[in-house]
Amino acid sequence: MTSSARDLALSVSLLAFAVIWTWLVIDTIRPGLGHGDIGPRAFPMVLGIILGGLSVLLFVRTLVLRRDETTAAGTGDVDAMDEDSTSRWGAMVLVAIEISAYGFLLQKIGFLIATPILILFVLVIHLRLRSWKTILGMTLGMTLGCWLFFEKLLGIYLANGSWFNIG
Amino acid sequence: MDIFLEALSTAMTPMAIASIGLGALIGLIFGSIPGLTFTVALALALPISFSMDAVPAIGLLLGTYIGGMTGGSVSAILLGIPGTPSAAATVLDGHPMTKQGNASIALGTAVITSVFGGIFSLVVMIVSVDLVSRVAISFGPAEIFALVLFGLSTICGLCGGSLIKGLISGALGLMIMTIGIDTIDGVQRMTFGSVNMLQGVNLLVAMIGLFAVPFIIEAFAVKSSTPEKSQRISRVKAELPSLRMLSKNLWLMIKCSVMGTGIGAIPGTGGAIASFLAYDHAKRFSKKPESFGKGNVEGVVAPETANNAVTGGTLIPLLSLGIPGDPATAIVLAGLMIHGITPGPALFMNHAGEVYSMYVSVVLAYLWVLGLQLMGIRLFVHVLKIPRELLAVGVLVLCAIGAYSIRNSVFDIYAMGAIGVMAYGLVSFRVPITPIILGMVLGPTLENEFRTAMMLSAGDPAIFYTSPTALIFFTLALLVIGLQALSELKARKPIKKEVEVSDA
Repeated sequence: MTSSARDLALSVSLLAFAVIWTWLVIDTIRPGLGHGDIGPRAFPMVLGIILGGLSVLLFVRTLVLRRDETTAAGTGDVDAMDEDSTSRWGAMVLVAIEISAYGFLLQKIGFLIATPILILFVLVIHLRLRSWKTILGMTLGMTLGCWLFFEKLLGIYLANGSWFNIG
Repeated sequence: MDIFLEALSTAMTPMAIASIGLGALIGLIFGSIPGLTFTVALALALPISFSMDAVPAIGLLLGTYIGGMTGGSVSAILLGIPGTPSAAATVLDGHPMTKQGNASIALGTAVITSVFGGIFSLVVMIVSVDLVSRVAISFGPAEIFALVLFGLSTICGLCGGSLIKGLISGALGLMIMTIGIDTIDGVQRMTFGSVNMLQGVNLLVAMIGLFAVPFIIEAFAVKSSTPEKSQRISRVKAELPSLRMLSKNLWLMIKCSVMGTGIGAIPGTGGAIASFLAYDHAKRFSKKPESFGKGNVEGVVAPETANNAVTGGTLIPLLSLGIPGDPATAIVLAGLMIHGITPGPALFMNHAGEVYSMYVSVVLAYLWVLGLQLMGIRLFVHVLKIPRELLAVGVLVLCAIGAYSIRNSVFDIYAMGAIGVMAYGLVSFRVPITPIILGMVLGPTLENEFRTAMMLSAGDPAIFYTSPTALIFFTLALLVIGLQALSELKARKPIKKEVEVSDA
């Protein structure tokens, strides 16, 4: 994807978001009462409009820049980051899944069981690590280290499971 | 004097000293690992500070900030990769020194000059904060609104290459902070009926998501490999520079400290600019400018003094006006507010003791940094050998602990993940994420002061343009935005010229 194509996609997405945001704000938040009462609606509404305006500005600027670049060089610049974009987007989706699953497991089975499961999953499935020494060291070290430091030393409450709890 | 002595005793308790030391250690480790900046360290240290009293908590954050700023030089000198953007200029001569076998003296010089720069800026800060606060104490809602607007205009300095994208990012930050219950009318805004959303998006959750999650994704996507460099640095230690060398460079250190403190005091600038300007200055006025880039020790002295002098400089607008100059100080600001200390003109009236404790904490943090760097440099060298993706696994667990411990709510872990993924998406589209933080930190004050001012004037906007102070801040904000727009237009000119040439 060229940088201009990327900016066009960004500006259109942001414009759509701004329109939906502004519509929701107008629809769900009451306006001010006048005589100096600005009301809770004003700021989010104005911000939605500003975001929409900036998105349009980005769209127009990108179109103008693209025209200039095309005239100058014949093509748009291909993004260097694009070469390994599949692995980046893949990593993003996997990390999102891992964080969500970790949150769910923390609530259900508690920190002391959920954490080694997460670390094992990330090391073995995501990072494809095969050194069992590293895997075991990381899994047990991180879990016990965090539990001792946060829960026992600092007194910070770490999640206990609602299904079962081992401390 | 009594307040100062009381503050001194509070800051010198074993708990406070240990917290500052822990912060300095975390900062040094995170700062020395390329990609894992001290901003991530601060975001992760913030939840740890919850269970502490105000002074040790602030000491932890300041220690992390100062340790991180200094730690960036370790990987810059040893690996030729700056741990933080502020250490980028140190690479130019620090790494050639390592190649020549002078890594130990380069590291020792970096530590000593960093401490010098930091302490120098602290002295300037102590004098300035009180003065600026005294001036700012008379500000009403209109003036504070104008001041915060000026603070937001510093987005221009943090927007990277594109002003529009920086402003978009800032607008997104402001929008996020309008979610939840409106503080003036108590009306629900964009909560969609969810109880979890009533308190809005938690600032700390957002900070962890914005800074740490993109690092995790990037580390998992692009795996690191630097084994051959690790071999070269495995036997290194920090060696103190001679007094003769230090006295020879004393004037350079003073000049760079002034430069760093001044640049740090301007919101939206930061250590990277200061260190490059200082490096350029040192090269320009050196007797041997041709030796720069080939391992000249002045090329380490200048940037390291300047980037650490920035720490005191950035705390001037933060403490006196409540304006954070960079993402790191934005997190420090959040930490202060969590412990009931609101920076701004009234800071000295309400929290003089805590402010003095902060001054003592800064000195202690530099002493810790000095000790840790000189004694524990071998530890950092070992940390540098750990693959980035394995560190990211640890950061992932720490992020979840940090987000969860804020309200003991799993919802915050989901929110952190969502914000982090959104931040990574924005970074992929070259949208800077730092302005989001600025928008989130300053947004509520901006809205509340505007609405209060309008209520006081019964809806008459004249309250804003009849105040000379407010007008000065509006003008400054316009000037900052105008200058950024102008520099972008200038940067675009060569393309235009090229087009004209092609057409001809």
